[in-house]
Amino acid sequence: MTHYQKPIRRDTFDKVLFGAMALLALLGLMSIMSAVNSLGFSNAVVRTHLIALPLGFAAFAAAWSFNYQIFDEQWKPLYGVILALLIGVLIFGTYQRGSKSWFVLPFFSFQPAELCRVLTLLVAAAFLDRQGRAISDMRTLFLLGILLVPVFGLIMMQPDFSSVVITCPALLVLLYCAGVNIFYLSLVAVFGLVAGFFIITWTYLYLHPALRDYALLNVFADLSSNVWYILGFVLLLVVAAYGAWWIFKQLRMTLPVFYFVLVAAVVLAGFSAGVFVDRQMKPYQRKRVEAFLAPQSDPQGASYNVLQAQIAMGSGGVLGKGLFSGTQSRLGFVPEKHTDFILAVVGEELGLWGTLLVLGLYLLILWRIVVIAYMASDRYGYLVCGGIFGMFLTYMLINFGMLIGLFPVAGIPLPFISYGGSNLVSSMLALGVVQSVYARRITIA
Amino acid sequence: MSVKKIIFNSRLKFLWVLALIAGAVVALRLVDIQLLRHNHYLQLAEQNRTQILYQTAPRGRIFTADGKAIATNAPSFNLYYLGAGPKEEDYLSQLAQDLAPRLGISKEAVTEKLNQALRSGKAIALAENLSPKSTIALKELQLYYPGIYLIEENKRSYPYGSMASHLIGYLGSMEGSDWKNRDLSLDYRLNAKLGKNGLEKKFEKEMKGSDGGVYLEVDYRGRVKQVIEDRKWKPGADIYLTLNYDVQQAAEEGLKNSLTGRGAAVAIDPRSGAVLALATAPAFNPGMFVPYSDEPEVKSKKISEYNLAVQGIYPPASTFKVITAIAAIEQGGFDPKKIINCPGHYDAGSRVFKCWSRHGPVDFFGGMAGSCDVYFYTLAAQIGPVPIERIQRMFQFGQPTGIDLPGEKAGNLYGPTRRARNRSFWFVGDTLNLSIGQGELLVTPIKMAQYAAALASRGKVWKPYYLDRVVNPQSGKILSEGKSEQIGTVEIANSTWDLVYKALKHTVDAGTARRVKMPGLDVYGKTGTAQNPHGEDHGWFMAFAGKEGQKPEIAVAVFVEFGKSGSSVAGPVARKMLEAYFQRSKSAEVSVKEPEEILGE
Repeated sequence: MTHYQKPIRRDTFDKVLFGAMALLALLGLMSIMSAVNSLGFSNAVVRTHLIALPLGFAAFAAAWSFNYQIFDEQWKPLYGVILALLIGVLIFGTYQRGSKSWFVLPFFSFQPAELCRVLTLLVAAAFLDRQGRAISDMRTLFLLGILLVPVFGLIMMQPDFSSVVITCPALLVLLYCAGVNIFYLSLVAVFGLVAGFFIITWTYLYLHPALRDYALLNVFADLSSNVWYILGFVLLLVVAAYGAWWIFKQLRMTLPVFYFVLVAAVVLAGFSAGVFVDRQMKPYQRKRVEAFLAPQSDPQGASYNVLQAQIAMGSGGVLGKGLFSGTQSRLGFVPEKHTDFILAVVGEELGLWGTLLVLGLYLLILWRIVVIAYMASDRYGYLVCGGIFGMFLTYMLINFGMLIGLFPVAGIPLPFISYGGSNLVSSMLALGVVQSVYARRITIA
Repeated sequence: MSVKKIIFNSRLKFLWVLALIAGAVVALRLVDIQLLRHNHYLQLAEQNRTQILYQTAPRGRIFTADGKAIATNAPSFNLYYLGAGPKEEDYLSQLAQDLAPRLGISKEAVTEKLNQALRSGKAIALAENLSPKSTIALKELQLYYPGIYLIEENKRSYPYGSMASHLIGYLGSMEGSDWKNRDLSLDYRLNAKLGKNGLEKKFEKEMKGSDGGVYLEVDYRGRVKQVIEDRKWKPGADIYLTLNYDVQQAAEEGLKNSLTGRGAAVAIDPRSGAVLALATAPAFNPGMFVPYSDEPEVKSKKISEYNLAVQGIYPPASTFKVITAIAAIEQGGFDPKKIINCPGHYDAGSRVFKCWSRHGPVDFFGGMAGSCDVYFYTLAAQIGPVPIERIQRMFQFGQPTGIDLPGEKAGNLYGPTRRARNRSFWFVGDTLNLSIGQGELLVTPIKMAQYAAALASRGKVWKPYYLDRVVNPQSGKILSEGKSEQIGTVEIANSTWDLVYKALKHTVDAGTARRVKMPGLDVYGKTGTAQNPHGEDHGWFMAFAGKEGQKPEIAVAVFVEFGKSGSSVAGPVARKMLEAYFQRSKSAEVSVKEPEEILGE
């Protein structure tokens, strides 16, 4: 039988995607067992994870067997489900570590925000799919913003910053893939940068009180608390916007006033968001920003965690110390070792090969998502893949970036590897949706 | 495929490329952390997990040539309970029962401490500074009860108190600069003691040894998980000196009991240049700087670090007359029988120079024995200053002896050529001053001893050395050895030596140096009293001796600051040293007549 005689078989299962996911889950299981230092199944963490794993695979299988287009058709009920879950957790949820984000059920607890971040991507993709040619309009972005404000608002009320940290970049990727005008997209990015700039600068000034001797910096430091300063800042923005417009006019480059108002408004919005977050920040979160800005300032405090994680990874070397033999994790020097810092355990016990394997498997999953996005039979499938691509890319970058000192510690688990049932199930669900897109792709035959 | 679709796809592709680049950056950083900086992090991880109950290594001991340890170590023991081990009530109660009488505390107190250790999971000291006596039983208990550990500490001790203190130096705590400049090849800890002066400083590297300890694995809260290793210390190398304990002891005793209690005494073996005694007074107790943990540490150093034996410079006075004599004899035409009348003064034309006494008519032997200034003025006036300076240079005056001690002073050579270098004039008075060892001539006590040894060896100028050998106490291997080194020769005729020896023997037998006359020994000596315009005169005594009819075996120089007289103040010290060397009983001393003159010569 030569190749053209081969009957064309339409396979509905991307083995590479599934294989990478399953291998990561296996690595994760071993690392968690090692991290909690228990070979047996007696440990509560291992037990819970062993319950979550089949649930995750079930979610994967379910999403795969469903036609993903149903999410496109039924996006409004889906949106309703998101809101219901998020409102429900605020009413019936339980406080854990200062956040009201858990449903505690008789056999397991469940974090709806984890599921919501996948569902939000599905809803946003459906919304953008419907915009058609209007996608590059300002109005689309505005409407999407209105659509998502309640979702983010409810998440912030828990509050659960890490969900926002993951979902926002994923949404940006989705918008970018959907073909939103780059100018508007940059405005959104500017908004984020301005907010981030204010938070980081305030924290920095808070860290170095000596800098407040400079009058200008002192005014800046009080910008979030003094009403007159805020009014002055707004006035300054208006004047700056007008001035910029006037200069452009003199240069005979007449641009619509609208653009200048927009930029000023976005900067102002970023500023307000910055003020809001700055006031909402908990001490431990401020400490994390501090630790990121000045890792040496407090070796026993927040940056201690990152340092210990790096010691764990570095001491593992190329081949690692062997499973269950990592001193850094076994003796408790690495904090949150089975959740946020699981990569440190992998690095210590399996060595460079282990961390490179995890990185490689992640890149493999991302590659499959891109390939599948190409194959999608409709625009919705493509958009869903784009969003999920953005989500896993963000997870990967933040987790690795945190360990190697490129990002502040955000307290974000690494899907498939870290302990955390809700995260595992929703991540597998997301890949199930991608698999579903693959199964219903365009075929040449 | 529509144009729009291509745009969309290229956008996702662009992101995919970005993801790949980010992945590459992460991978490079992982390689950096896990491959390139692996050793650094491994070290940090080991530091994290190990807690060490240190056992200070015994510092190298310092021995005299006759095997007396003048610096050694006193062991002290600490008993630790590791807080990890059987937790049964019976076990603990039995352990407390057994420990209590041996530690001298109640059973309840021991139980309380054990429980405290178990609660915190940390290692805790049950008792500190235990004497070696009580630890034999505890060592046995250690075999029956896992979890208790006996840690040996070694504390410096100086069994003979202030013996050779200026040579030994002392230990001190790490100060900021010590820590910064510490030798990284040695395992210093912040609370380590290190040599601050003398041999303790000089041989710090050899004597330090390497500390042992019980290496514990601890978790992030310091709770003990297991014992990784019980590492035994390695002792530091022992230093063997050429010092003769008895002579050193006699020198220190003598100086301490002398008129002022200030001065220096040095003894050198003229056959090799080995230092037999090197004493400076007042001495100090080096042990005061290494107190036990419950004693306050001496911070203010009220002791005199000034080592007079090598750092004090004084005119050699009449001891120098030997050189004047040698110069005159070597010049030729010298008649030892020639009588010179000493009326108590010498008329130099423009100025009258006094003698310390009125000797009347004296020949060479009488002049030397009576240390008659007029006799030597006359000799010097005949031969001039140049030959005296020449002989002086042969004995290497004005140069350090080269003994391996810090801060040795060179002293000062005195003579017309030396003066000419300063573009200054030489007067007749200078010649006369030079002849009796006054004026600008300056020597250290160690120089004086070198000079005495050169006389005793008939012209061998030795570089004095005190280090015999450095030995690894475990293997017995000799790490380094001191060696005898001759740095110069005084080339004069044998007949000159004979004449000088005869004169110096006469000085001991019937002259100012009668104090060191001892039956059965050939003793040669010369006294000196250095004029001091600022206070009392200083006393010198220089002597060398051998068994009757044999070559001299020991050369001695004694200096007593403000001692007024060489013969009566410095002399007894020198005598004690010679007695100690030749193992003479004290009874021999009685037979010696007290010399008549007391003051000045």
